[in-house]
Parts: sequence; structure tokens; C-alpha cells
Amino acid sequence: MKRGGVLSLVLGGWIVWAIAGLVWTPYDPRATAHLDIAGQGSSAAHWMGVDMLGRDVLSRVWHGSGQTVVLGGAAAAGALALAVLLLVVERRGPRAVRRLVRSLTAAALALPVVFVGMLLLVFLPASPWTLVLACALGGAPFAFRQLRVVWLEQVDALHVTASRALGAGWRHLLVFSLWPNLRPEAAALVRLLFAASVLELSGLSFLGLAGDPDLTELGALLRRHQGELFRQPTLVLWPGLFLSGLLLLVHLTNVRRRARGRGLAG
Amino acid sequence: MLEHARRFAPVALRQLALLAAVLVVAGTALFFAVRAIPGDPVSLRLKNPDPVRVAAERARLGLDRPLAVQWWLHQRSFVSGDWGHSLTTGRSVREDFAEFFPATLELAIGGLALGVLVGVATAIGAEVLGAGWLRRFSAVLGTVGLTVPIFWIGLLLLLGGSLLLGWFPSGGRFDLAAVPPPARTGLLTVDALLAGDLAACGVALRHLALPALCLSLYPAAQVCAVLLARLQDPKLRTLVTSLRARGLHPVRIGLRHLSRIVGAPVITVIGSNFGALLGGAVLTETVFSWPGIGRYLVDAVINRDIYVVQNVLLVVLLLVVVVVLAADVLARLAGPAGGRETADGEGDS
Repeated sequence: MKRGGVLSLVLGGWIVWAIAGLVWTPYDPRATAHLDIAGQGSSAAHWMGVDMLGRDVLSRVWHGSGQTVVLGGAAAAGALALAVLLLVVERRGPRAVRRLVRSLTAAALALPVVFVGMLLLVFLPASPWTLVLACALGGAPFAFRQLRVVWLEQVDALHVTASRALGAGWRHLLVFSLWPNLRPEAAALVRLLFAASVLELSGLSFLGLAGDPDLTELGALLRRHQGELFRQPTLVLWPGLFLSGLLLLVHLTNVRRRARGRGLAG
Repeated sequence: MLEHARRFAPVALRQLALLAAVLVVAGTALFFAVRAIPGDPVSLRLKNPDPVRVAAERARLGLDRPLAVQWWLHQRSFVSGDWGHSLTTGRSVREDFAEFFPATLELAIGGLALGVLVGVATAIGAEVLGAGWLRRFSAVLGTVGLTVPIFWIGLLLLLGGSLLLGWFPSGGRFDLAAVPPPARTGLLTVDALLAGDLAACGVALRHLALPALCLSLYPAAQVCAVLLARLQDPKLRTLVTSLRARGLHPVRIGLRHLSRIVGAPVITVIGSNFGALLGGAVLTETVFSWPGIGRYLVDAVINRDIYVVQNVLLVVLLLVVVVVLAADVLARLAGPAGGRETADGEGDS
């Protein structure tokens, strides 16, 4: 199997493993059941140790990875849905609307998601889903831009023009001409959006804007364990390693794919 | 010179018009968004909100007037610098901003300068020297800078630089026991230099080092990636090869010739990523207990301090737009058409 395929497989396995953590973990990630050994390092029973409140760190990191993947995935899906909606409006709308959509998205690109989240939190209740909404809104302009470029490239391609000249309908064009070429680009965009959403969401959680004190999302875990940095550094190392590992895998999968794409083009 | 001015005057005017449009649109959006919050801000502000006091306060703030008049008053007061008072502390938002913003500015300048320096040096060094280790370093820099969360890097830096090595303090802008230099610019390093106090400057630099290093990774990765892509241009590669064949030292090629050519892309990268840099500064401030505008904003959001969030966000947005537009104009001036040197080496004679 090629290296890109192996990376995709590892990424898929990682995501499945993380989501499984929402259903089962060795111990209850929120229960302070091991107060007698609070602050203990790794052992056979607790591979990543126990935090100062007697909670199993592996269970918390595993559960947190699941929450990170689900919330990040929801934010990426939201951003993509908004981008598709914007693209439809921009392609089908009158000239003034087209220009407005392009100008607004170009302006919104400059605004970091952290500030979008802060603005939303003034009006909406502080919850992980408000952060998901902020990430979706913040990611939509970027997704729209990328999607528009890919769409324009494909829709004006020679083979599409030829199919259209031969009388192919929109459905036929979409299924047989556009989608096969759009699919790899769309997959890369989805991976990129997912990584960006996970990064932004964990950043907002790290700032303490998630509201939910029981949230085990990895950014929220890092914030909670920040105070223990000098006493029990592993509490900060493990969540960060899992978060960075996930992002690194997504990045490497996309880099491999791009490199392969360049090789083919060359 | 006149030719330059004639060419860039329409661009600059268009950018100014865009800036004014952003101010009006963003100010209006924030104005209506704040009005859409359930509950009366005056009742929130007053500790004992009896109807008479509420009515008097509403009249004082102009909230009893028509919405269009309120909008106009809001725009006017923002431009004139009257940004209201914090609902939680009662302090003037503008005074708070003036107190916290220099800390963020110092951090952002430090991080940006370090990032640009590292990014440019790595990219040009990798291309001119053709050193394999520099190419590998640029790949690692690109991967770490763009994928690893900045707040985790910050925590690792604290662990390494403060706990393990003990070289740097664990947070804050200045030693609590030391006397800070007299405030002139608000930037502690600059103030210390202006006062001629090198010891204080050293203390401020030690406090700035880790946060600036943490913040610099993202711009360094961006600058390095863009420059490496730019330097792959066959014309530039030919220029480098011919300059090396003429016996020029690689450092001279980098400093004298390539730095001018890559100026425009670097400015563009800085401009387009300035918003992300400020977002990163908010996270960095939280890690390093840096008393800047980011932490001030986060506290305001948690306390739902609407006047602080409304006005400070608007200022931050304007700042981002100003930097983006300024970078656009500067990049045009620094580009091959605006500069003297071209990729063909015409300016090299």
C-alpha cells in the first residue's frame, strides 16, 4: 500500500478510535473515583496516570478526543454547508448579489474565528455548540473561496463543455463529468476544514469560552490542566499530543495527496 | 516620484473608501447586534435599577431617542473616542484599551518580527545555499507552525524554558519586585531603552522572549512556505545561479538581491495573516498571563460586558482592515513594477 493510503487508514482508525471513546472508556472520565491515588503517574491500572481530582487521564483524553472529533466535524460540516449555500447564491443570483457575496466573504476572511466566537458569545449562551457555530461561520468564507475555485475550474473544463455540446443534462454532467474530478478536491477541502475547525474550536475551548465545566474536549482539558503544568506536566502533554497528532495526520494526508497530484500533473 | 504618486493615488483613495465602508458596515452590524440582546443594558448597568433612575440613565445615554438617531450618536461617539464604560468594572473602555493594547502590540510586533526573520532567512538560505538541513528545517517549521496548536506550543515552551532550564519567567510582562521604566509608549522594552535603563530592558525582553517565540511560529511557517514557492520560479533560480556563477557570496545574494524581490510576497503574507496573528496573540496571552487586549476581551465576553466587546472588537476589526489595506498598497509599491529590480536581474547592473 502507498504511503498516502497508509496515512489515510491511520487517520480513519484514529477518528474511529476517538469516537469510540464517547461510548466506552476504561473508567468514567468525569468520576473522581481515585482520590486515594490523585496525582499519581502512569501505572498498570492507569496508563496515563490520575489527575489531582482522582480522574483517570487516559479515559479523559480518549473521551476528549471523541468530543473534539465530533464537534470539529460538526463545525466543518456547517462551514461546508454554508459555503455550498453561498456558492449557489453567488452562481445563480443577480450580478449585485454575486458581487456582494464575493465582497463579504473576502472581508470576512480577514476576521479570525476567535473574534467571531467572542462576538457570538455575547448574544448566545456559552456552550460547545455556540463554538461550533462560530467555527462554521468563521470557516465558511474560506470554504466558499476554495469551493468556488474548484467549481469554476471544473465547470469550464474542456470535457464538460464537450459533454454539454453533445446534449448532456445537468444530472449527467454532475454524476459523470464533474463529480469524478471534484471528488479528490472536495475530499482535500473537507480534511482541511476539519483540521481548521478542530484547531479553532480547541482554541476557543482553551480560552474558557465553552461554558460547560464538564467538557472534556482537548482544548478545554488543556485549559483545566494548565495550572498543573509544573506539578504534573503529563496532564498537559497527553491532551496536546493527541490533539497535535490528529492535526498532523490530517495535514500529512493532504500534503501527500497534493504531492501526488503535482506528480501526475507534471 | 510624481509618477509613483499618480499611479498609487487612486489605489490609496479606493482603500480609504473601503476602510470607511468597513467602519460603517461593521459599526452598524455591531450596533444592531447589541440592541438585539434580550434585556435592558441600563438595568444591567445599574446596581439598583428603580424606574426613575433607569429612565434618567436611558435619557442620558440617548436610548430613549429614535433608533436612527441612536445609530448616528453611536457612530459619532465611537469616532470621537467615547466608547462608554465597562458594565463590570465601571472603568472607561478607552482608558482600558489604552492600558492593555500596548502589551498586545509589543507581543505582536515581537512575534511578527521574529517570525518574518526566521521565515525569510530559512527560505532564502535553503534556496541560495541549497543546504539539505535548511530544507528539512523549513519542512518541519511549516508542519509545526501550521498544525500544532499555538497554546500547546506555549505550554511546552513554558515547561522547557521556565521549569526545566529556568532561563525565562513563567508569565507576566515584568518582574513584580522590579520597578518598571516610566511609561512613554507603553511598550516596556522601548520605554526601558528610552529611559536608558538596560537592566529593565533585559527584564522586559526575558518576559517577552517565550510569548514572542510562541507567536512567531505561525508567521514564520507562512512566510517560509510562500517564499519557498516564490523562489521556485525558474527565472529566480536562473538569477541565483548566474549570481553565484559571478562569484557573489550566498549571503550577499540573499541580502542584496533576493530580499528585495521577495519583499512584496512577505508584505502580502503579513497583511493577509494579521487577523490570524491577533487571534494567536489572544491565545498566547492566556498561556503566558500576558496582560493584553486578548485577555481583557475574553474576560469581557465571559462577563457579557457588551460595551467592551462591541467597541474593542470594532477597533480590532478596523486595525485588521487597516493593516490588510496598508499591506496591499505596500506590496504594490514593493512589487517588481514598483521596485527597481526584476526577476531578470535588470536592476543588478
